[in-house]
Amino acid sequence: MEKLFLACGLKEYSYSDLINDLNNMISYSPYIYVQENDPYEIFLRIIHSILYQQSTVILDGDFSKYELERLGLNLIEVTKTYTIDNVKVYRSMHEVNEEIKNKVDWNVALYTSGTTGKPKKITHKFDTITRFVKQGEKYEKDVWAMCYNTTHIAGIQVFFQSLFNKNSLIYAFNLGQIDLEKLIVKYGITSISATPTYYRMVLSNFKEIHENVKNITFGGEKFDQSLKISIDQLFPNAKVTNVYATTEGGSLFSSRGEDFIVNSNISQLIRINELNELWLHKSLLGQSDHIHLDGDWYNTGDLVERVTEELFRFVSRGNEMINVGGYKVNPIDVEAVIMQVPGVLDCLVMGRENKITGQLIVVNVVKEKLVDDKILKQLIKAHASEHLQEWKVPRLINFVEEIKTTRTGKKARICSGLLSQGTPED
Amino acid sequence: MKNKLLDIINEMMEEAGTSTIEELKEEMSLRDDLKMDSLMLAELTVRIEDEFEVDLFEDGIVRTVAEVLAKIERS
Repeated sequence: MEKLFLACGLKEYSYSDLINDLNNMISYSPYIYVQENDPYEIFLRIIHSILYQQSTVILDGDFSKYELERLGLNLIEVTKTYTIDNVKVYRSMHEVNEEIKNKVDWNVALYTSGTTGKPKKITHKFDTITRFVKQGEKYEKDVWAMCYNTTHIAGIQVFFQSLFNKNSLIYAFNLGQIDLEKLIVKYGITSISATPTYYRMVLSNFKEIHENVKNITFGGEKFDQSLKISIDQLFPNAKVTNVYATTEGGSLFSSRGEDFIVNSNISQLIRINELNELWLHKSLLGQSDHIHLDGDWYNTGDLVERVTEELFRFVSRGNEMINVGGYKVNPIDVEAVIMQVPGVLDCLVMGRENKITGQLIVVNVVKEKLVDDKILKQLIKAHASEHLQEWKVPRLINFVEEIKTTRTGKKARICSGLLSQGTPED
Repeated sequence: MKNKLLDIINEMMEEAGTSTIEELKEEMSLRDDLKMDSLMLAELTVRIEDEFEVDLFEDGIVRTVAEVLAKIERS
């Protein structure tokens, strides 16, 4: 039986399929913008772009026309293809992987929501995005569950971990609608990397203990001790790792619990200043005009607490980003879309804490007096759904008389939930 | 209580422009029968929190309508 490269729903692709499709590709596009985020198409095009040394920009396939315009792009540009003159022929995955590893000049650019203005374009070098890929005999039999969006940095890192060890990758992303337990049994999944939101959704339906799972990684949101307990019970043989990653720098720290260890190899590249802000050396980051450095250092805005000289713990994010199930949402972007709805005079988008997705988008709206509440709520949701990715759409809409501002004139972005006071945390 | 929960769920459906449900049965699964994904479950939990001052998922995942009602009644 041929080695499985990727299983995605009812479709299965072997490594031979992958090689055949690579050999048959006669064109490329500088952008990877794949409708419905088809994972095979995305991975195929990532590998192809590396082999042909064409640096690429990866976009979410569900970006709307409006969201593309916000990035300064348009549909014609991102779907344009160019013919390749000399098509290469590969005979084995070994040959493909060896060539990939030598393509040190390849870059991949991703977009991330910034706290102000347009989303930031961050370009990662091949070395930075594959920095934490582990290779060797002990990883050869790993079978990975792909539980992230394949166009985001965490998903791309799982993809490289699987590819470089010629592992099988089982697509299991979709905010918990896929029965992960069935996939673990069917494909013998050994390694899972996902957000806490994902685990909270899928683990509640598990019926058995899975002793063959040996690696569980979670990150992207605040550490959740009760989730760790559930994971320990369901996967008794798994090493559980908590990862801190940013779109600017990819995975940077890992831990067995809440406290992150500063490894000696990067200890000189991080700093915690007197205000307890975490600073990263520029060598840990991707390239971007939007990353503002102070000398050689970047202020993450994250507040941390030193536990010992080698250990620290995250306290909170220092910015206004809202974290919905591991996805960062810029409230200003959402407000710009809601303000386009007729009948809306002003609005304020906030994160509302909850146990499922960490935070959820809620909006306070000042409306024109004569507009019907119910109709306006429907209009706002329909308009937001059309122009924004689903996790950016406000789920609760409150009508208010005015939007309060702080002394400096900024909107006071504090959520008024009964049990949910506070600022966004990671 | 069940009617109030039905109102909350139907308000969510109406606002999202999807079809509402006529009857809420206790054995209904939130995920399989009511087709709620994680974002909808998060929305439901904050709406219930506002109405009943109870955090639905405080000590673990709630799967069925009966479990939701039990959580609200215990509060």
